Amino acid sequence: MRFTLSLLMGLGLFSSLAWSDAPETDASQSSWLDSPYLDNTYAELQSGSLLGLVHGSLGKIFAHNHHLKAGFGYVPKMDDHAEMSMVSFAYRYQNPWTIDVAGKSVQPFSVGVAVLRGEHRRLFATLPEKYPDGYYTPTAFRIIFNYQANVQITPEIEVYFDVSILDVGMVSYVREPEFFNDNYEFLGLEGITNWGFGARYAF
Amino acid sequence: MKSIKIIFSLLLAVSLVACQYEVSPWSTDVDCPTSVTIEYNKARLQAIELEEGPRSAYKVALLSDPQMYPGAFENVIERINARDDISFIVLTGDLAETGIKAEYEWTCKAMSKSNKPIFAVIGNHDALSFGTDIWLDTIGPENYSFTYQNSKFVVYNDNKYEFANVPDRDWLEAQAVVDIAGGEVREHTFAFSHIPPWPEDLELSAELEGYGFDLTLHGHEHDFDFWELATVGLPHYVASFTKFEEYGILTVDGQLPYVLENCRGSVCTVASARSVD
Repeated sequence: MRFTLSLLMGLGLFSSLAWSDAPETDASQSSWLDSPYLDNTYAELQSGSLLGLVHGSLGKIFAHNHHLKAGFGYVPKMDDHAEMSMVSFAYRYQNPWTIDVAGKSVQPFSVGVAVLRGEHRRLFATLPEKYPDGYYTPTAFRIIFNYQANVQITPEIEVYFDVSILDVGMVSYVREPEFFNDNYEFLGLEGITNWGFGARYAF
Repeated sequence: MKSIKIIFSLLLAVSLVACQYEVSPWSTDVDCPTSVTIEYNKARLQAIELEEGPRSAYKVALLSDPQMYPGAFENVIERINARDDISFIVLTGDLAETGIKAEYEWTCKAMSKSNKPIFAVIGNHDALSFGTDIWLDTIGPENYSFTYQNSKFVVYNDNKYEFANVPDRDWLEAQAVVDIAGGEVREHTFAFSHIPPWPEDLELSAELEGYGFDLTLHGHEHDFDFWELATVGLPHYVASFTKFEEYGILTVDGQLPYVLENCRGSVCTVASARSVD
């Protein structure tokens, strides 16, 4: 079901963007470089990509391209998930290269890394006393690598599509690429990637 | 410029198709086939035994601790697949490293490649995070038993930091009892757990021997070992982890002591039990 939904969404997006009648020159709206978003504070709301069903953040842009943000995520009780909250701290580099897609300014290259801390009694940030020293690394902390494609909707508002890879996924893929190639589609990336989406508003 | 748009759109579409929408690393809906469940493999082994009839000898492959290296684990599975003399596999724990969905799925992928029944034992790492929930939904119970060729295989949970009141000694004692009135014929009784008897709980060795177990088999230590307490005489074998394509082979052919081999790749050597005071 999930695969079918993703396929339909992907095909729909591909069709609308690839064959748009938008001019190939500058977008009708102001250049991204004029955006008040630059070197500004922003609020962000995201869903998925391992950061929660909903994840709200406050961020700051430095030197045009470097983003730092801190956020809070939440997952309600679901059939396949315990109710839990999480906090994150992330850095992202947004390359200023901009292309016009369907009349919108798109910055297709943005990469980042986040530290995520899950809050639940089944997770621990420091090793419980019952364990010998060094028995486990903390299970509450994860590192998440991500790629984003960002679309400027208005000078203040940006939406994005996010693809993330969990720490263990990155390590395992680098270490044993043939396993993932043999068992998963798209060069094995299907086995380690997750997607999400979000929007930002610049103050 | 249009080609760039097309390429970008294609990449976006591929990403949407390739990726999963996940709200966190701690989901429990693991995508594992039913072929990795204990119940499925019990039925599978039963069907094999019915078809082959009585046999005087059989072999069991002992794999352990595939965590973090699903590729190497899959290589060992494929090596075992090529051997017709092995009846089934016991995987003595630590299928995952931090007990999360992604790790379980990768191990399941490799397990599903086995052309022989494969029985998993719960390890300490498997119980981290929400791993216990995943285990119960995906693999089965933590304690279970099955029979094959007049032998009983008893699998128990002894991960004492992650679970209270383990191992369940009463359950173990009951499992070792031969149902003579029911017509059971028992030639061998084997116990499997992730961790060998803890140094601070070595009396378990004597208790297991007293219950009637002939041999216990384990993982956890990421190296081969084979020992018995001098005062007890119950042998404990430890299979190495699969990171370097290491595994053990148990041969049951009516001869004592049991033949256990330490294997790396295609090279196997017979293990000797060391006596521990």
